[in-house]
Amino acid sequence: MGGYGDVKLLREDGLRLDGRKVDEMREVEIEAGILPAADGSAWVKHGLNVAVCAVYGPMEAHPRKIQRQDRAVIDVRYNMAPFSTSDRIRPGYNRRSREISKVTAEALESVVLVERFPRSKIRVEIEILAAEAGTRCVGITAAAVALADAGIPMRDMIVGVASGKIEDTVVLDLDKAEDNYGQADLPMGILPTTGEIAFLQMDGDLSVDEYNTCMEYNLKAAREIHELMVDALKRRYMEKNGGEA
Amino acid sequence: MVELVPSLLRQELAALAANDQRIDGRGRWDSRDITLETDCLYNAEGSAKVTWGDTIIYAGVKFEIRTPWPDRPAQGSLMCGAELRPVAGRKYEPGPPSPQSIELGRVVDRGIRESGCIDMDSLCIIPGEKVLGVMIDIHVLSDKGNIFDACALGAIAALRTAVVPAERFDIGEDYPLAVSMTPTMCSFTRVGGRYVLDANDEEELGGDERIHITLGDEGHLHSLQKGLKGTFTPAEFDEILGVAQQRCAELANLVNSKEA
Repeated sequence: MGGYGDVKLLREDGLRLDGRKVDEMREVEIEAGILPAADGSAWVKHGLNVAVCAVYGPMEAHPRKIQRQDRAVIDVRYNMAPFSTSDRIRPGYNRRSREISKVTAEALESVVLVERFPRSKIRVEIEILAAEAGTRCVGITAAAVALADAGIPMRDMIVGVASGKIEDTVVLDLDKAEDNYGQADLPMGILPTTGEIAFLQMDGDLSVDEYNTCMEYNLKAAREIHELMVDALKRRYMEKNGGEA
Repeated sequence: MVELVPSLLRQELAALAANDQRIDGRGRWDSRDITLETDCLYNAEGSAKVTWGDTIIYAGVKFEIRTPWPDRPAQGSLMCGAELRPVAGRKYEPGPPSPQSIELGRVVDRGIRESGCIDMDSLCIIPGEKVLGVMIDIHVLSDKGNIFDACALGAIAALRTAVVPAERFDIGEDYPLAVSMTPTMCSFTRVGGRYVLDANDEEELGGDERIHITLGDEGHLHSLQKGLKGTFTPAEFDEILGVAQQRCAELANLVNSKEA
């Protein structure tokens, strides 16, 4: 969080700069099964963010030292395309993408029934094609849909959502300006059926009350996005069966 | 991941070729269906998505202000790179850029650069101090064969719809990048002993060498590349060049139909 408190992010009428209410999220669109080369795939547009995820596997875990005797390893790569941001990003891994890949993998391991596939590997490739704040959450949502599309058993879906604080007001789903000039950001990966949390990061400054409001907003948004995820998978399933559900 | 080339697949492809057939039912010089979308990515100054059969690629154009090369103080620069990340297919692995991805990026780069479609002098802002760098990045998302042609098409389509973000760089008002030509690529792969246009992934796996031809306006040649083990005769090249002349003109028309 930059914490540049002097930038106006809320309008006189209490709405945000893009006209959203404080507890309103950006528009979300989801498609499943869009990459023919992959075993499972998803495309998620969240506001102006675009993420694509491909899942390969379960396959032989290679090199052998990464194998686990009792479960599958989940190999996540979160990557931002060079043209995804306003200044071009040099291709290749950096510290930020490595950290996001690591915590995303751990979140997915918490929902995938990894013990069903000992000694194997499931590859999850998250590619951010356009970035406008909140890409790690969009990536998690895309990964969950792609895993389901690949037919990999999970005990629940996982939905990436974030809330934060701007001008001392808690808001759902920060956009780019709010992320840059706001006071806090709380991204989460939520299991929509149980409300459990598998992914958590936060930076900035939040009181306990503010945290609780964030949590409430995140849970509400996770349930909304979950419906879109299920719809996307149903459409995919109907497509495969020639339009019959 | 090492791909095993099944001898059964090679045998099948040879048997089909003997009857002038292909594994997916196409004729020898038929391409798969192509869908081209432009201006499809927020944040990229020019962008294109190409769906070429089951192959999917994105291309994005970014600009930067940089100091010119000392030997060309009044010229901007162009760079085109391709990434073959593990997302593109089961056979791709993480790591530093592979020789395949470098070849892909460089062959596409040469076709665009050597056609002269970008006037490098027009990218100069202050001679010796400030010039524009144009960067085309290609991202392969699904490799089901013939990524070369898909990448070349996406790159020129993204370039032709690019807008220079001059306001952001404080050098005046935004303006469309001047691109004077539409170079496009046609690739041929030897499958079952004879060349075919637009090989799919199975034909690439069970086929031999490939030839990439980039043609600009009036059918002029701007970049050629032979890849993989194998040889061809001048007569074979004459034949595929004739096919490329016709096909490249069709591809250029497709790109030009997308301009704003």
